[in-house]
Amino acid sequence: MPDQEYWNPVLETLPLEKLKILQFKKFKRILAWAYTRSKFHRALYDKAGLTPDDIRSLEDIKKIPKVEKSMMREIQNKDPFPYGDALCVPLEEVSIFCQTSGTTGQPVYQPDTWQDWEWWSECWSFILWAQGYRPSDRVFLPFGYNIFVAFWAGHYAAEKLGCEVVPGGVLDTQSRILKIRELKATAIMATPTYVLNMADMAKNKMGIDPATLSINKITCAGEPGAGIPSTKKRMEKAWGAKVFDHSGATEIGAWSYECRKQPCGMHVNEAMFLVEIEDLETGEIIEEPGRKGKMVITALDRIAQPCIRFDSKDIIEWDSESCSCGRSFRLIRGGVLGRADDITKVKGVLISPAAIEEVVRSLEGLGDEFEVVVDKQGDVDRIKLKVELLPGVTQLSVENRLKDQLRLKTNLGYQIEYYDYGALPRYEAKAKRFKDLRKKI
Amino acid sequence: MKPAPDVYKLNDHILKIKALLIELEAMAPDFPALSRNSKRALATIKMMELNLSDVITTDLADL
Repeated sequence: MPDQEYWNPVLETLPLEKLKILQFKKFKRILAWAYTRSKFHRALYDKAGLTPDDIRSLEDIKKIPKVEKSMMREIQNKDPFPYGDALCVPLEEVSIFCQTSGTTGQPVYQPDTWQDWEWWSECWSFILWAQGYRPSDRVFLPFGYNIFVAFWAGHYAAEKLGCEVVPGGVLDTQSRILKIRELKATAIMATPTYVLNMADMAKNKMGIDPATLSINKITCAGEPGAGIPSTKKRMEKAWGAKVFDHSGATEIGAWSYECRKQPCGMHVNEAMFLVEIEDLETGEIIEEPGRKGKMVITALDRIAQPCIRFDSKDIIEWDSESCSCGRSFRLIRGGVLGRADDITKVKGVLISPAAIEEVVRSLEGLGDEFEVVVDKQGDVDRIKLKVELLPGVTQLSVENRLKDQLRLKTNLGYQIEYYDYGALPRYEAKAKRFKDLRKKI
Repeated sequence: MKPAPDVYKLNDHILKIKALLIELEAMAPDFPALSRNSKRALATIKMMELNLSDVITTDLADL
């Protein structure tokens, strides 16, 4: 039987203008659902003088007030416990609790009904099918199954596709690597940080070359690394596997993915999500490709705690190119380029941690780990970069290239500190490599 | 090459299964093994609706 490229051959090839009609219909549906069932949403829209009937076209959608993460934190002090009044279903309909990782502040609780949980894995099914997962795959999940949504939906989507799933939950890294080898697993899902750490552990502590294992594809989430070319290249080289990016969030869902063509960008699942890109300064909605802005997103079918015009703070831009895979879902160029609250000014220059990562990971003499610390010396910003030298590599051999590339890609001079390989902290999930100490001084 | 499936016929089947499951759930309120499994199956049917019925029932002809 010939391989079917699409999980959903109808939706994934629907012309954009038709997708937009579908999105509008679904937006109206979720808006009316939230308005009639949630005190939080009703109050928000009443305050703006809007009812769902006032939304008569896609153009009208931008009138709907955005929801900020801080608002979701506030409602958790309200009834019904513990979620607050954005809840749109009776508590007894909630079947799963998750919470955000708390990277940017107090974690937000996320209730889901069983239908929502099915929906999560449905969104992930689009991703995994597009990345070549098939029933013949044995998928190893090296993550701690817990209150963070992480790869839970990836697990259930892989099951739905018919893959054999190996839950590598509480095993330590070495045990996971041995189990991957023992079972000849063909795919893994992990954060880029952990994919690199596993490879490092296998190669340097266990004497196992991960490229000789049977892994042929890796799906990343949780961090932007799989969309950063030098980081992707390191992972692909280490494992001898294709590495795919995907983007999602606890309060949103899994909304975009790279397909097998690896088009240097990710498809937005426009059948399940409405993505708007907002100009960072004017708030104007950006329709044309090539202009970066902040993503405002609606999950069109999530019902327990709807996600309607959520201000995600992700920086993205539409790609002018379509993908050779034939999907009509638009591409965002380079994936998620950063977060609006990560992009900061140092010495008056806008800087994104992803740009530094791209430079560090592009130099072969440097290890995977690094750390950036921004502070003040008197009134002047100072940016310090800590890197590790691989065994046998001297500071002299990389110093000039590193400085030149940093200057070229980020327009800044750095105070660089070199460490022996293995000296910097290792992370199992999301890494904390960027520290801005200026606010504390 | 296999002919493309008739999406309207596929949708009819989805809606028929949904109607049967709703009926089954309602018929067995004191039979948790049936009512809860029906409810769960309805969530799966909803995914089929999202995948096909929503687009079938959207008037795309006006575009």
